[in-house]
Amino acid sequence: MTLLEAAGALRRGETSSVELTAEALERIARLNPLTNAFQTLVAGAAREQARAADAELARGEDRGPLHGIPIAVKDLFYTKGVRTTGGSKLFAQHVPDHDAAVVESLAAGGAVLLGKTGMHELAYGITSSNPHFGAVRNPWDRDRIPGGSSGGSAASVAAGMVFMAMGSDTGGSIRIPASYCGMVGLKPTYGRVSRYGAMPLGFSLDHMGPLTRSVRDAAAVLNAIAGYDRRDDTSSRRPVEDYVPEAEPSVRDVRVGLAENFYFERVDADVERAVRGAFREAESRGAQVVAVRVPDMAAINTVGRLILLAEAAALMEPQLGQRDQFGADVLALLDQGRLAPATDYINAQRLRRGMQREFAALWKRVDCLITPTTPITAPRIGETSTSIGGESEDVRLASTRLVRGINVLGLPAVSIPCGRDGRGLPIGLQIIGKPFGEALILRVAQALLPAEAAAPEL
Amino acid sequence: MSKDWKKIARGNRLEIPEADLERILATLDGLEAAFRPLARGLPQDSEPASIFRAEEEGE
Repeated sequence: MTLLEAAGALRRGETSSVELTAEALERIARLNPLTNAFQTLVAGAAREQARAADAELARGEDRGPLHGIPIAVKDLFYTKGVRTTGGSKLFAQHVPDHDAAVVESLAAGGAVLLGKTGMHELAYGITSSNPHFGAVRNPWDRDRIPGGSSGGSAASVAAGMVFMAMGSDTGGSIRIPASYCGMVGLKPTYGRVSRYGAMPLGFSLDHMGPLTRSVRDAAAVLNAIAGYDRRDDTSSRRPVEDYVPEAEPSVRDVRVGLAENFYFERVDADVERAVRGAFREAESRGAQVVAVRVPDMAAINTVGRLILLAEAAALMEPQLGQRDQFGADVLALLDQGRLAPATDYINAQRLRRGMQREFAALWKRVDCLITPTTPITAPRIGETSTSIGGESEDVRLASTRLVRGINVLGLPAVSIPCGRDGRGLPIGLQIIGKPFGEALILRVAQALLPAEAAAPEL
Repeated sequence: MSKDWKKIARGNRLEIPEADLERILATLDGLEAAFRPLARGLPQDSEPASIFRAEEEGE
């Protein structure tokens, strides 16, 4: 059942928030030992919220589709009175005195928060194999990573524990786990959703967004969390829209870009076949497929890596004397950032502006781009390199290769499931739009994925 | 020519253990090789993508 289907059932009196919450908690009790998706549970508070939601709905006080729906948030969103670790040993006992803006918005919408999901340490990585809180496991194959850094969020949704879990995305951290877990993951435009109260990693690259089982669910969540927030310097004043597409939307005459360069280079054959099939599907629904050459994405990735290295190292500088508090992979990245000179960071930010301008020209020719989200499906836990077409590549670099540049450009992008590989693992497809073009990419995504994403047997 | 990262770390008193430095040298060299040509090609008048505003909200 999707979030919006549960919202409908609540209003028809077929279920209650108390029942949905009890079922979710029961499923978490059964499946969390297998997946480690949740790091902290707030069951008592959730039951209370559910009772309050039922009472409000009974009185006719309807706060919208999230009202009474069990959800979770990644453990980097501040939650008042509830431990927020960012997946770090340094913050293992950190209890914020206020909520993140996103948590406030979800609460205002009546959502029932069940807890905090596990993640890659400091959101700085793609495995979610956390050295302090344990590895999050992929519900499709528990020997494999769920992706990261929002791995617990994706795993909790894929395992049917919650209808939606919030994630954050600095270099693909919503879209990679969406791809590896076969779920929908939306990274909105930079500035569309407030970053206030989300533990930062890369100030100019961090984006907040939902992971869900359907496109319309992700859009409904965006409706609740989008909008200007004066507490976030980069928050946009641009008016929000209704992002929820029709159940069977038209994509007639939408110009869908098919990249002739970069996006299909060094991609697993099953992934390429599945994503190319989506173009045929879009075309059969009236979309116009336009072959385009994209700007130098490898250069954009290089700029993104440098910006993130510097921003993350600057952020964690005060703690870097406590080397034993960090996992080896995160420490290696932070050390690299400390060695990047300030001039390189400034020049990377200068290059970024030029690249943004160059990429903007693309939107005169197409309305969106469809690409694979990740060139591979979920790697095994502990695997550090992967082979694509006989060529070896670092798992982290391969996983971020097709998504990182979009954070540099601040563009909206959604990952949806698009078939399975020969091992039965989900394949992810990415739809990238122009700035604040969330409504269009969600419409295209809904046309390609009109039903609920397939879930693993657990 | 690649940078002497060990010397840079020492010069900046970063106190990164030798073994940890060894592990990141190849990655740093790779990033340097990819980034340097891009930075060299920057036009003189290009501005960074920053968010500084002289006038704060509400003032």
